[in-house]
Amino acid sequence: MKKIILSLVTILLIFSCRKEDSETYDGPNLNDLFGEFSITQDITVSSNTVNFPVDNKVYFSGELSKNTTWVIDLKGQTTGANRKISGTDRIISIDNATWDGGANTFPGFGLETVFVEISFPSEDNSVILYDTLQVTGSKIDDGILITSFENGVGTKWSNFNQTTVAGGITCGDGNAAKGNCYYGFNGTVGWDWAIGSVMIQDDNNDFGLPASASNLYFNMAFKPIENIGNENTFIQFWFDEDENGDGIFDPATEDRFIYEYWYQDTGWSLISYKYADIQFDVDGNQVATNGNGLPEPGKLFSINVFYLANKANGNAKAYIDHLIFTTNKPYTP
Amino acid sequence: MIKKTLIVLFVILSNYIFGQQKKFQINGAARGYFFSNELNIDESLDTITTRKANYGHTLLDMGVNLFPNNNTEVLAMFRIRNELGGFWGGGVSFDVRQLSLKGVAADVVRYELGDIDLKMTPYTLFNYQEEGVINEGDVFALRRDIVHYDMFYNNNNSWRMQGAKANFGLEFNGLIKSLDFKTFITRQRATDGILEPERLFGGGTIKLVQSDNLSLAFNTVNIFDLEGTIPDSIQYKNNVHTFNLNYSKDLNEKIKLDFKSEAGISNARYINYADNRAPETMNDWFYDVSVVSNFKGKNTSITLGYKDVGADFLSPGAQTKRINYSKFPALYQQITNDAIGRQISYSDVISGNTENSFKISEELMPYYAAYNNSNPYGLATPNRKGVYAEFQRTDSVKFKNSFVKTALLTQSKGTGTTEKKNFFLIEAGTDVYLNDYLGWKKQIKLDLGLRYENTSRGGEVFEVVALSSTFVDLGLSYELVESFDILIGAKIWSVKGNEFNNDRNQFNNIVNFNVVNYGFNENTYAAGLRYRFSDKNILSAQYQINNIKHTSGVSPDYGISQFTFLYSLLF
Repeated sequence: MKKIILSLVTILLIFSCRKEDSETYDGPNLNDLFGEFSITQDITVSSNTVNFPVDNKVYFSGELSKNTTWVIDLKGQTTGANRKISGTDRIISIDNATWDGGANTFPGFGLETVFVEISFPSEDNSVILYDTLQVTGSKIDDGILITSFENGVGTKWSNFNQTTVAGGITCGDGNAAKGNCYYGFNGTVGWDWAIGSVMIQDDNNDFGLPASASNLYFNMAFKPIENIGNENTFIQFWFDEDENGDGIFDPATEDRFIYEYWYQDTGWSLISYKYADIQFDVDGNQVATNGNGLPEPGKLFSINVFYLANKANGNAKAYIDHLIFTTNKPYTP
Repeated sequence: MIKKTLIVLFVILSNYIFGQQKKFQINGAARGYFFSNELNIDESLDTITTRKANYGHTLLDMGVNLFPNNNTEVLAMFRIRNELGGFWGGGVSFDVRQLSLKGVAADVVRYELGDIDLKMTPYTLFNYQEEGVINEGDVFALRRDIVHYDMFYNNNNSWRMQGAKANFGLEFNGLIKSLDFKTFITRQRATDGILEPERLFGGGTIKLVQSDNLSLAFNTVNIFDLEGTIPDSIQYKNNVHTFNLNYSKDLNEKIKLDFKSEAGISNARYINYADNRAPETMNDWFYDVSVVSNFKGKNTSITLGYKDVGADFLSPGAQTKRINYSKFPALYQQITNDAIGRQISYSDVISGNTENSFKISEELMPYYAAYNNSNPYGLATPNRKGVYAEFQRTDSVKFKNSFVKTALLTQSKGTGTTEKKNFFLIEAGTDVYLNDYLGWKKQIKLDLGLRYENTSRGGEVFEVVALSSTFVDLGLSYELVESFDILIGAKIWSVKGNEFNNDRNQFNNIVNFNVVNYGFNENTYAAGLRYRFSDKNILSAQYQINNIKHTSGVSPDYGISQFTFLYSLLF
């Protein structure tokens, strides 16, 4: 009998070695689903004054009683720029609540006061926290800036405006997508869709772009204001490449890629696409050009931004701003 | 066309049979079943649901056993069913209910093909009893038997499947007494050629018998999808391997001890699933050990045991539930003016108005915590560990088939919290032959059954669970005159408390918890008359009332009364 009991005890001991799961559990956390919400550690910002070129970022930190959705809403007092940072982690920290000075979309933040609002949308009757930040230095864009129209018209630029159209750079009225200035078109052209254009060319015929088009994005801010609506207005980009490097673009023998962006929304929109894609039309077919047909950003000679609108709809008005190339991903304002 | 073909085949088969003289046997069943239901609900709650629903059917299961030779038997059973109210063939169905072939090859290997019944251990392949049966009285059992017969839920807890099985044994004279081999393969699902691959289920047992006192068995059951049966390459696989070790020893002249144990592992794999929620693999294990003290000459035994079943132990063959509680019942699916879906009641379970499983499910099916929260998937319920005990007395002078079972279990792993649920369960039942007390010649039998279950979990306010469920199962059968019985029965549920029901995705992972607050009394009373032409031939008329009253006030109170007329014949 003793042997039997001993054997049984041995077997039990062998099987009883299941790891005690005292720290883990199956399924979502009940505290997150049904627990009471509270802020267990005040949510604070790392600095109320930030100079992004120096500081790189600011971050928020705090602790909640449960994992729940939180939203940090940042709004520029002057520009109206907006950035939302959200998460669901119980602990708010540098890992999930960092602001690099960028906005969700255009317009971008300027040197201004930023209003901060922190809310918890999944929690009924929860508090909303408010704070302010002071931006003393805007974030440095990660990309190759063509122009943000801050320095006026380039020496090799040219523009075209219909006789009834006013087209040019405007600064300081608070309407820029980024910085202080933008380029605008405004006028009534009853006889033609073409409103106006601006051809941007580098002073030294070199935008400094890489050779490869496959991971290079072209970005621009566009704001249609009047004569809007689907199929009423669009932007046409002409990318002229100096393929033989003689400092002159010859449309008869060199590539001019034309890309169209049609109206999608009012307000500032980010137009962004891969430079390699300009060789295809909307159906994915290769477009016909007079050069070698290959997008070669290193040979980009000029960019012509051409604004067109429905001639039947009266006055047409639109702004463009911040032409910039980025690598690997679209521009983030 | 199919009907005509089957009839012609049947006639040809019959001619062949009669021509062979005594090489056949006819068996089957016949019944007439009529239901008259009435929904009882307050007019202020429901003015739209039709109150009365009548239906019924007659059917004949005609089976023919052929014996072409001494070692072969062929069974073909056809079912002709006629819904009452059909007109000139309308509502008539003609189906093949069973088709199987069995025999002995070379006087060694027993085999069976076609429709086969399979059962292994409670952790591998086992069709466990549905909820609400604790020493059930005849008035309910009569009707439950019909459901079980239709679904092939046999008393031995086997699953009806389609495939093949074989077994053979080897006997030795040395250290080992015998080696028994059992194997089977079944088809669980045919491919649709697009999304669902063909699914097979196979396994077997190798049992080594050392002596009458010692045996060791290896069991394996495996679900696997066949590659190449759909354009995609997704495959679900589940393997369960267990060992049984049983040892018996006479402790003394009065007590014999049986040591029983089963332990094993499960492994589920989701191969090439595009759904990123699909885990690559889920592994876990279990063990169950017990000691049974048999008191010789007293028909009495006491069992003490301990088990630990891991949270990810997945054994579809042993965990598939008979009733799918997530489906609405077939009768009065929606009630009240808001047309809310009606939760399955016990009236639906008894009448067979539930969706019943006819094949094993790889997903842990939803269960009704109010009816069973401690072992909703039978003994193989995952995430349970603890002690259990059982007292059983199979016969005595006035009390027969008495038993008391109890279990004190806890979760192996918390769900939604590190706090674990605790379960206390006690079940007891006995048959009391009152005629022995009263000195009557006519039998008057009282069936008593009781089940109490308590679930608790501590911790913070938001995670506390306190659920109790009491179930009383009563039955009385009185033989008024010879072969003519009066039957009375009651099933009384009283459930109160709260629970967080697991909401699992198709990969058996818990993705949410549904908070439920129970507070209801569900009473089912039945009375009827039964005339027994023979043990296999009865005529019965019953009236049953089922009422659900909620104390929480969230769900509507209602009841279903039901008159049934049943004629049943097995031959």
